[in-house]
Formats: sequence, C-alpha cells, structure tokens
Amino acid sequence: MFARLTSGAVVGIDARLIEVQCDIAGGLPTFQIVGLPEKEVSESRERIRSAIKNSGFSFPAGRITANLAPADVRKAGVGYDLPIALAILIASEQLPGVSEQRPIVGELALNGDVRGISGVLPLALEALDRGLSGVIVPVENAAEAALIDGVKAYPIKTLSDAAAFLGGDIEIEAQPCDVAHLLAGTAEAIRHDLADIRGQAQAKRALEIAAAGGHNLLLTGPPGAGKSLLARSLPELLPPLSFEEALEVTRVYSIAGLLERGGSLVVRRPFRAPHHTISYAGMVGGGHGIPGPGEISLSHHGVLFLDELPEYDRRVLETLRQPLEDRTILLSRAGISVRYPASFTLVAAMNPCPCGFLGDTIKPCTCSMHDVRRYRKRLSGPFLDRIDLFVEVPRLPVEDLFGRRRSANSDTVRDAVEAARRVQWERMREDDGRFSNAELDSEGVRAHCALGEEGATLLKRAVARFGLSARGHVRVLRVARTIADLDRAEHIEAAHVAEALRYRGDRSAPGG
Amino acid sequence: MSLSGAEAEERACLLLKELGYMIVARNWRSRYGEIDIIARDGSTIVFVEVKARSSRGFGGPDAAVDIGKQRRIASTAGQFLQQTRCELQARFDVVTFSGERPSVYRDAFRIR
Repeated sequence: MFARLTSGAVVGIDARLIEVQCDIAGGLPTFQIVGLPEKEVSESRERIRSAIKNSGFSFPAGRITANLAPADVRKAGVGYDLPIALAILIASEQLPGVSEQRPIVGELALNGDVRGISGVLPLALEALDRGLSGVIVPVENAAEAALIDGVKAYPIKTLSDAAAFLGGDIEIEAQPCDVAHLLAGTAEAIRHDLADIRGQAQAKRALEIAAAGGHNLLLTGPPGAGKSLLARSLPELLPPLSFEEALEVTRVYSIAGLLERGGSLVVRRPFRAPHHTISYAGMVGGGHGIPGPGEISLSHHGVLFLDELPEYDRRVLETLRQPLEDRTILLSRAGISVRYPASFTLVAAMNPCPCGFLGDTIKPCTCSMHDVRRYRKRLSGPFLDRIDLFVEVPRLPVEDLFGRRRSANSDTVRDAVEAARRVQWERMREDDGRFSNAELDSEGVRAHCALGEEGATLLKRAVARFGLSARGHVRVLRVARTIADLDRAEHIEAAHVAEALRYRGDRSAPGG
Repeated sequence: MSLSGAEAEERACLLLKELGYMIVARNWRSRYGEIDIIARDGSTIVFVEVKARSSRGFGGPDAAVDIGKQRRIASTAGQFLQQTRCELQARFDVVTFSGERPSVYRDAFRIR
C-alpha cells in the first residue's frame, strides 16, 4: 500500500513543503528512509517504530520505504518523525487513506508523545503562501504557528491524537491567537533605565542619538565606568517592535530553536552580547548541514553588544563589515546558500589602552605608547568606518557618584526617539528600503543633509582643523541630521553640526 | 534439564499451530544456513528460529540469536522468498525454551 502526506523543511529563513511518501511491499522486513536524509532523520526509524508500538498500533512487517521528496533538498531535523509514522499507519491500513494537504511536523518520543521542533513559524508562512488552510504541529509550537493570520494551527499532543484527527475520529480546535495582547507586552516596564545610571551625560546623549538614527556606537573608557550598563539600556530606548518586525525576529529565533517553550511572538528587541572568544560561525552563522543563524541575525532589529572590542578575533570583526552595510548576511556553502536578516545596531565598548586607565584622572596608566598603539591597531580602519558615534565614558567624578541628580529616564528619551524616527520615515518614504539616518550613503546625505551657511562654514573649518576624511565628513553630517531630527528642526543648523563634531572620534579611538 | 534441539522444534511447531500459524516447511536449507520453521500467520510469512536454553542467565532471544545468526537467517529467508516467488510480507519470530517453558517472540528482529 502507498500513502502520501505533506511535511516541511526549513532551508535558511524559508520553509519548503516536503512530500512524505510511504510504501509497504512484500519481502523481508526492512525500514528505509530515502530522499537525502541527514543523520538525525535516518535515526528517526527507531523512534518511529517504538512510538507506533507504544501508541496501540502495530508496526507492519514487510519492506517499508519512506521517501522524502523532492530528493534534492537536504532533510535535517526531527520534524519528519510524525508524518512518517502517520504515513506508515495509512500504508499499513491502520488508518483510512485520507487526502491530507496540510503540512504535518513533530518529533516523536518513544512513548508516542509529540515533542516540539524548531522552525515552525517559517512553515506556517509557507503554508500561507501555498494557500493551505492549516498546519498540524506539536502543541508546544502551536502558539508560534498561530501567529500567521489565515493559517490555522492544530496542536497535537500524541501520535494517537494525530491519527485520530486525520482519521476524523476527533476534532481538534485550532490554536487561538491574540496579536494585540502579545504586542501589548512591549509596553512593559523598562528594566535598564537610563535614570539609574549615575552621571555620564554625554554618553547618555549619544545613546539617544544612536537610538534615534540607528547609528553604531563605540564607547571608550576605563573599567567600571558603566559602559555595559549604558549599552544594555539601548534596546529599551528604541521604539517597540512593530508586528512585522516582531515576526521577522521570531522567525530567526524559531529557526535557531531559541523560542521559549510554548512561546510565540518575540516582543522585546533583542540584545545579544556574545563573549569575545566567539567563533566566526557563531557570529555570522554557520554550522554543519544547512548553516544556521549567528549572533548578528539573532540581533536583528535589536542591539549587538561587543564588549572588549579589540579582544575579538580580527577575522570575526572583519566579517561584520558586509552585514553592517547590507543589513543581511548571505552564507554560501557547498551546494547551498542561505540568507538571514541582520539589521542591528552595533554597540561596542573598549578600554582606551590595555591596562584601561589611559587618560584617567586618578589612576595612572602603566602602558607604553607602543602597547597602546598595538592595542588600537587590532581594529581596522574599514571596520571603524562603520561606526558613526565615538564616545568617551570617563571615570565618574566623586560628586556624580554620590550626587542626587537624576537624568532623564528611558521613557522620556524613548518618546523623543520615536518622534525622531517618524520624521525619518516620512523623509525617506521614497528611498527604497531605508528607514534611518544611519543608512544614508553619500548620495543620501547630499539629498537630505543640506547645511545652512553657518553650518557649512563650521564644518569646513572642522575639516581643515581636524583633518577629517571624506568618510568622516559624511559621518558627521549623518549624525547632525539625527540631532536635528531630535530637535524637531527641519534644517541642520550650526549647533547640530557642532554637537555632531563631538562624536567624530579621532581622539577617543583611531579611525575618523 | 534442557530439551534437545529436535524436541524443542517439535514442541515449537505444536505451539505455533495452537497460535494459529500454518506450518509451511521445516528445516529448510540453503547454502547460507537453515531455518527451523517456516509458517504462515494470516497473510504474513514467518521465519521461526527455535532456541533451547537451560536458563535465562544468558539473555533473551536477541542474545541467543546474535547478529551473525540473524544475517544467516535473513539470507536464507531471502532465498526462500525468491525460490517460491512469494510476495507476502515477511517477519522473523524466535521461540525459546527455558527449561521446558516456551516463549514466543513475534517480530524478534529486523534487517538493519
């Protein structure tokens, strides 16, 4: 007997529908899975056999062949357990031969329970694209699949449930989903409030600018000055994720298998802080088989924080250049290439020198000039070119440490940031795919960052005096545009240029 | 006291008949080896290996019929199916006697 069901495979960020065929022929009892299965798929034979036996069915004798089509797509993951088991039940006439178009996924435990898998959200999206009415998924993943409007997600607990559902013996109610309720979670209380960080007024201002314009930021200062705290507060200064953005983030987390158990939408902006020993594959994505998403994709629509920047492997930092520019990463491997989104704000932190106290007011620096130069040379010019804001975070003066003065809290700043972002969206509506000032290239700068006479004179003088390069010049203009947007000014004025010049970065770090 | 091989096979046949099997052949030989009993259980053809053991101390049928023995049985079974042009689904059972107590292991092993 022959049976046919539908399942799905995740290839990069997208899912593909996979046809699961099963045939049982006469002859010696064998069980084979063909159609380019990876190791974990071949291993599923033992799980499937036990699950079928322990669910009150019998595992048929004879030659069992399961085929996963199309045969040229690599089949990884454990989601094929359930559809293969069901196809065997149909082929051995323990289930009526149904014509089931809806994709079925799930891992089987030996006792017949259905366990959650990764990548269910992309599958639901693919089902929507193909005009299918629903997906049959593990109960753990149902909330995630239900996010897609127009596709019903049927939660499955056990193999016998699935069999009864396909056979029409029981009804299973589709998972409900209240998107508005989920998104309301974004308005939650702020956890890392700017007001809780003492002093550092300039750094806080720089964070506000970074949030408003999407600019990348480098914080330089001695240990303990508050660099990490400042970085951590950035995601909450950004406007809440829109539903579309949240869906994009959730999709990456779904593929990476990082969604919480039974979780659905990721509503908080990601904050990723990988350790400086991170490998190339961990940063940009990779791994065996189909390359998975790396930290830059897990930071999509959020913040990637690199503490102790010069300690990172040079090769790892250089690979960030292209995604910082393109906001996406293409991973090409033998026989497969996948694209992941990687639109993130980079916040980096470093000490001014190896001992950390160069330029400190109290502790003397013990490094030689040579040490300092070598330390800073670990960062390449082209990499630093991608950073718009360079900020010094000095040791706190005693009066700030014990003072009672509190700065603006994150709520207030976020309102200003949102207003500035709206101005940018309006202005760049005609520019394809650009949403923030940080994305302006030299052409965009020419179009949107016109200076008045006073501002132009100031900038000209700065170029001459500080030896600003053409790139440094564009960078100052971008930042000035954001400062003007925060100021609700239509034109960039001299004061905005003056402030932008403070973050140009030829003092605090190399580059500029 | 354990049964002799022939006695065990004789008893196994009786037992299988009671269970509704139809005996097709006994001690069927090929150049790979021998199958103790070939029977039909409904629409399935069953190849049965009979093992007499004095105690359970040495493990169950999987231990008694090791992987080499399984391969020999499977090869012989393949020959049988070919020669008889049989297209039924096939299964391997093992009947063990521990002392005089029989146990029937349906679907005892599969070809990997």
